[in-house]
Amino acid sequence: MSLAAGATLPTVTKTITQEKINAYSLAGGDGNPLHTDPAFAASTQFGGTIAHGMLVLAYVSEMLTAAFGEDWLASGRLKVRFRAPARPGDRLTASGKVTSHEGGKTICEVECRNEAGEVLVSGEAEVSR
Amino acid sequence: MTTLADLEKGHEFPPAPFDLSDQWVDAYVASVEDEAIGALEGAFVPPMAVAALAIRALLEHASLPPGTLHAGQELTFTAPVRRGEALTVAARIASRGERAGWALMGVELNVARDGEAVMTGRAMISFPLAEGAAA
Repeated sequence: MSLAAGATLPTVTKTITQEKINAYSLAGGDGNPLHTDPAFAASTQFGGTIAHGMLVLAYVSEMLTAAFGEDWLASGRLKVRFRAPARPGDRLTASGKVTSHEGGKTICEVECRNEAGEVLVSGEAEVSR
Repeated sequence: MTTLADLEKGHEFPPAPFDLSDQWVDAYVASVEDEAIGALEGAFVPPMAVAALAIRALLEHASLPPGTLHAGQELTFTAPVRRGEALTVAARIASRGERAGWALMGVELNVARDGEAVMTGRAMISFPLAEGAAA
């Protein structure tokens, strides 16, 4: 069953912590000190550690898995820009909306915002359905 | 170790095999707190886990320069992937440019199972051309 244009996707909300960032660093094999080394990160333009973009994007993908199930795993396409960093303590919400249906595909706009409403990730997803 | 800063456009990484072990998948799912994948029947792996493991395989050949930022990401999933499967990732530096003291690089990722693609993607990253430039 396809969602109608204008339908909203079930949101996913998570709170970023340094522990979660560290756990993702280990799983993802990404030792970039910008994520895990507070002293290094404090010396950068960000002033502190930030979450991996792929960690934040995982929340968007979880939302799409919840909305489209196995179809997302078999035919999903995601194109996003990382617009602002997620920091420890941020409460993030991934959300999305069906914008159209084209050629058997459901097209959605997706984004992830922090509790201040700042857009951290935005882009488009499509899935065969 | 070689860093991505040392690599030019057209560089191809050697194919890297990896296994989606239960241990690794459990660690990944716990780190991203994915509650949706467990609701599906079939021992599926979150598609973003495949992307993460592809990038992990890439980073075993070339590390990220300090201060690297992830600017954008494109991913296409063409088949569900399950725990225990063996995959191979191939990667290539598809583009490289410079602007205002930063390098902008596009890295193509192709993940296959038994020679058939399960995920393709492109990561857009940027990093300071001189160490410490991002500070």
